[in-house]
Amino acid sequence: MTITASTTRAGSADLRLDSLTKSYGGTVALDAIDLHIPAGSLTVVVGPSGCGKSTILRVLSGLEAATSGDVYFDDVAVTTQAAGDRDVAMVFQDYALYPHMSVEQNISFRMRLQARHDRRSGPSRDKIARQVQDVAGLLGLDALLKRKPAQLSGGQRQRVALARAIVHRPQVLLLDEPLSALDAQLRAAARAELLRLHREIESTMVLVTHDQHEALSMATHLVVMDNGRVAQSGTAEELFRRPGSEFVAAFVGSPAMNFTARPHGRIGWRATDARILGDADTPGPGLLVEGVVDVIEFTGDSRHVLCRADGSTFTIVQRDGESVPRSGDVVRAEIPQHQLHHFDENGNRTND
Amino acid sequence: MSRANHPMRRFGPVLWHTTLTLVAVAMVFPVLWALLTSFKPANDIYSVTPFSAEPTLDNYVRVLADWPVLTLLGNTFVMAAGVAVGQILIAVLGAYTLVHFSQRARGPILVLVTISLAIPPQALIIPQFLMTARLGWLNTDAGLIVPQLGTCALAVLLLVQHVEAMPRSLTNAARLDGARPFEVLWHIVLPALRPAISAVAILVFITTWNEYLWPLLVAPKPEDTTVQIGLTQFQTAEGNDFGGLLAAATLTSIPIVVVYLFASRRITDAFLQSGIK
Repeated sequence: MTITASTTRAGSADLRLDSLTKSYGGTVALDAIDLHIPAGSLTVVVGPSGCGKSTILRVLSGLEAATSGDVYFDDVAVTTQAAGDRDVAMVFQDYALYPHMSVEQNISFRMRLQARHDRRSGPSRDKIARQVQDVAGLLGLDALLKRKPAQLSGGQRQRVALARAIVHRPQVLLLDEPLSALDAQLRAAARAELLRLHREIESTMVLVTHDQHEALSMATHLVVMDNGRVAQSGTAEELFRRPGSEFVAAFVGSPAMNFTARPHGRIGWRATDARILGDADTPGPGLLVEGVVDVIEFTGDSRHVLCRADGSTFTIVQRDGESVPRSGDVVRAEIPQHQLHHFDENGNRTND
Repeated sequence: MSRANHPMRRFGPVLWHTTLTLVAVAMVFPVLWALLTSFKPANDIYSVTPFSAEPTLDNYVRVLADWPVLTLLGNTFVMAAGVAVGQILIAVLGAYTLVHFSQRARGPILVLVTISLAIPPQALIIPQFLMTARLGWLNTDAGLIVPQLGTCALAVLLLVQHVEAMPRSLTNAARLDGARPFEVLWHIVLPALRPAISAVAILVFITTWNEYLWPLLVAPKPEDTTVQIGLTQFQTAEGNDFGGLLAAATLTSIPIVVVYLFASRRITDAFLQSGIK
């Protein structure tokens, strides 16, 4: 393909936050964060509520101005650009569909405004109609175009919100907890649909969620936030296998990581990495833990064994072939050396 | 004594409905009496029998011939509609700006607006009259309308509540779609406000229609004034023409009754929402 003037604009943008701070009155929501979001990625920003993850979306979108620091799209500073001038679209948590407009009018609103603002080079009627048709086809909304938002189900509304956001193929698509309003069954389907959409369109997608499971399963690039700062970023697998701090270790993965106190810090280990020892088994060189079984949760393909040990609790996932403990039993388990995560007193990782 | 047999429980509804009936009668009686009296000949006016032995349309014939009904109704309508439209315009722009563009000034401004509700209009009437006179607006529509736009505090406060109740994500979505501030107002905020606007408009229209003191001061001439002032022409130094007065009052309330027949739900809602009267 030859690059002409009209195609030089990338389909997706590389985003960068440079020592960005956002404060509301006295409270600091984002504390001088540096963050890189690769072009074309599906970046998931995850963290407990109040960690500043939604603020990142608002600053990226331009709905709110940064207190200090800069926002770059493809190395161009957009910090002072108005929301409507950035090539950004957003799916809101409550979808924010315009209630008095039909699905079709909701989807075409942006392009109709553009046509009115710029009669010469704005989109033509035909182009608007064609693009609405395209996106309706992509998201299965053809039969719903004449309906009002109030006449749609939750899942349909979510797809209309997506359609409205991607109809003009924005460089950046921001999603603010887009699945949280859906019930559990619908959520799994919507998650797959989002991944398919990410494959289909070129946009850089930034999704915010508080659900670490959702984050792990969708992200090509994962950002964990803690108290206005980036705790760690990288691929989902990197963060899961090699958490850089106790906070990330505890937040990512389910069941949550177990911690065992040690002089000068703690050792973390995952429930799935423990091997329950039988009476005859001799422990290897790894970490040995012992506790009394408190509760056993059957999850279908395995059992989560919750144990109590002098003042602390831990969880072990019981695997096939291992003996099935009962409540009140004493269990011993071993975690191999290479699957231990060492943290110092400050919660920072000390081993590789 | 068990709850079911408690006298309040047994007689409560009876008491309640008796009270309601009495109140309803008390409210309807004067209106009905005025209507009946308007059909009485002059020498029967003060009789206490509700129906005259010789009902007559004389009062109506005289009023329609001598009294400028249509001019007065027209003047009143122009005044009430002008004030309603003007106040809505101010209130919509004010509410939108206060909620969406003035985080810091909003609190103090709303306090000032609320305080203005507590100032009795009579206290301002002399300076207002002097200003109107200086502007040369006596006996004009502008004189009737513009000074009454100052009492828009209630309209502003009601609409601020409704704009605040709109989800922020709606206006944010429009901003991201590239809508300019006025387009956000026009395409997103106004459609959502439509029920509130019609309620406030009805409220202001009716209040202004019933206004007495201001039109009496600025537009006393019979051909320039409103219905409310026009009715006083039947009470003169030479005596009161109650037959004419009541016939005129009946005639001029017909448009209001017609409007009410079509929009009673809206009007009731408007007054309930405003929490007054």
